[in-house]
Amino acid sequence: MASPGRAFRIGLVLVAALSVWSIFTGVIDLTPAQAFGEPGGLALIASSRAPRTLAVLITGAMLAVAGAVMQVILRNRFVEPMTIGTGQGAALGILIASFLIPGAPLVVRMVFATLTALAATFLFLAIVRRLPPTQPLLVPLIGLVYGGLLEAGMTFIAYQYDMMQYIQTWVSGEFSGVLLGRYELLWIAAAVGAALYLIADQLAIAGLGRSMAVSLGLDYGQVMGLALLAVAVVVSLTVVTVGMIPFVGLLVPNIVSRRYGDNLRRTLPLVALTGAGLVLASDIAARLVRHPFEVPVGTIFGVLGAVFFLVLLYARPRHAR
Amino acid sequence: MLRTLALCLTLACGPLAGQTVTVDTYRGPVEVETMPERIAVFDVAALDTLAALGVTPAGVIEPIYVTYLGDATAGAERVGTLFEPDFEAVAALGPDLIIAGGRSYEAVPDLARIAPTIDMTIWEDVVGQGLDRLEAYGEIFGKQDEAAALAVAFQEKLAATRAAVAGKGRALIVMTVGPKVSGYGAGGRFGWLHDALELPEAVEAVEDATHGEAISFEFIRDADPEILIVVDRQAAIGQGGAAAKATLDNALVRETRAWKTGRVIYLDSAPLYIAGGGIQSMSIILDQIAAHVTGG
Repeated sequence: MASPGRAFRIGLVLVAALSVWSIFTGVIDLTPAQAFGEPGGLALIASSRAPRTLAVLITGAMLAVAGAVMQVILRNRFVEPMTIGTGQGAALGILIASFLIPGAPLVVRMVFATLTALAATFLFLAIVRRLPPTQPLLVPLIGLVYGGLLEAGMTFIAYQYDMMQYIQTWVSGEFSGVLLGRYELLWIAAAVGAALYLIADQLAIAGLGRSMAVSLGLDYGQVMGLALLAVAVVVSLTVVTVGMIPFVGLLVPNIVSRRYGDNLRRTLPLVALTGAGLVLASDIAARLVRHPFEVPVGTIFGVLGAVFFLVLLYARPRHAR
Repeated sequence: MLRTLALCLTLACGPLAGQTVTVDTYRGPVEVETMPERIAVFDVAALDTLAALGVTPAGVIEPIYVTYLGDATAGAERVGTLFEPDFEAVAALGPDLIIAGGRSYEAVPDLARIAPTIDMTIWEDVVGQGLDRLEAYGEIFGKQDEAAALAVAFQEKLAATRAAVAGKGRALIVMTVGPKVSGYGAGGRFGWLHDALELPEAVEAVEDATHGEAISFEFIRDADPEILIVVDRQAAIGQGGAAAKATLDNALVRETRAWKTGRVIYLDSAPLYIAGGGIQSMSIILDQIAAHVTGG
């Protein structure tokens, strides 16, 4: 397997360039000269552009990491938190919280979202444990149905109480509401993601399967529990702050592991970087496609990610081996 | 085709010795039997105007989401929800006339198979069609005088509000949903506020999308309207204008002229959104705008 070091360095440069572009993309005209020459230029960057760019980078990176971890510990290439009910669980939690305690502070909603996201994930694991291991595609299929059921439940509640547009905020994620003071929760997600990196080796061992992991001396239950908790926290923080963004956690780990394998300690930084870069590129496009209005970032990512993935699939034989 | 169908059904199903009147509906003029005794109502704007006329329906949808119509529907049978009629309940009710439209628009042909149905959708020209509907109900229920009085009172209120906002500058209509904001233009579902009040738009490019255009706070800052009209979609779950205010109270919106001069008007979303075009709903909205502009 190739070393991801070089790709990481190239990626870092690309993401830095995208970040600069992102800082100067928005409804209010702002050129680099204006940013430093005119009053209000730096203030605009501080209050709007920088928070948005950071929020996108963290979200992209953490969703990709959450997806990679999920894929390794569940030993299935086709799962990711947003398609197996974790994201839907988080959104359901927000809905229940804002319904039970109107005007609840963000922290309360976040705790609710994390708890329901965890519950939804464990319920999903309990369901898929009964599936035959010879049919790996059944897992994502059940996941889609399961996520759909949770969303149907949300829609039912929302319909009864005239909250359809409200749940749409969480179901279709985008970054138009991000400002200084409105995204800081994501830093917690970043910290949790970094913590996942610390146990990357244990996660990789857990990915060998229960019996192998236990015979290698790993506390399998503890590692699985920690990893799922971390994924639930990351996902619910993202859903609370910007809403659900599907496919990031599915595409990015697959893109990276096609070339660099599943040694999480080596690949997780690249996974995070690729996720951040792709979502940031999507968000810049989301701001520009219908300027001055916004397009949901998930829509753009779906198109961009699919094209990127196809290119990678078809280009591979010429480079590898 | 549908019009002919509705017309045929109206004629075919009516009792022999009824007096009829031709009223304008969304699908064109339809002949309707006057003084129907049992009516089923599927549109909240219709319910609003009928309540103002003192007409009590025998069947209504539930929930109706707006609070000010609670008394008007007391004792009525439940015949479905905002979008979906419960056809069995409608058939069991055996109404003489069904008033549908708006969100139940698509159910009109099916409802027409049960009883004479008029499509009273209000769309685009909210004020004009709202007043047309008022007049039509007046004729159907023999309350022409009441309807005329309501129309005159509304026109006066409209003129007064128009005078109150005249010269106060350009306005931007936004709707807050949780932490996010969408913008509405003169062609959108709240556009009648621009037209009827002759309120200039702060941004002309906002398109005619039912649920508005997703916008960022930078968009509001860049538009810099003198009047910011805010529809809070979350008011339905008891968070009122507080949630909308919390969403908009940020470094960018604070820099707009509307925020600096206090011309940020929070409108109740249910009357505007659910019952849009109802005569009471339009009066409530105008009152809220007038109270704010003259007060501030």
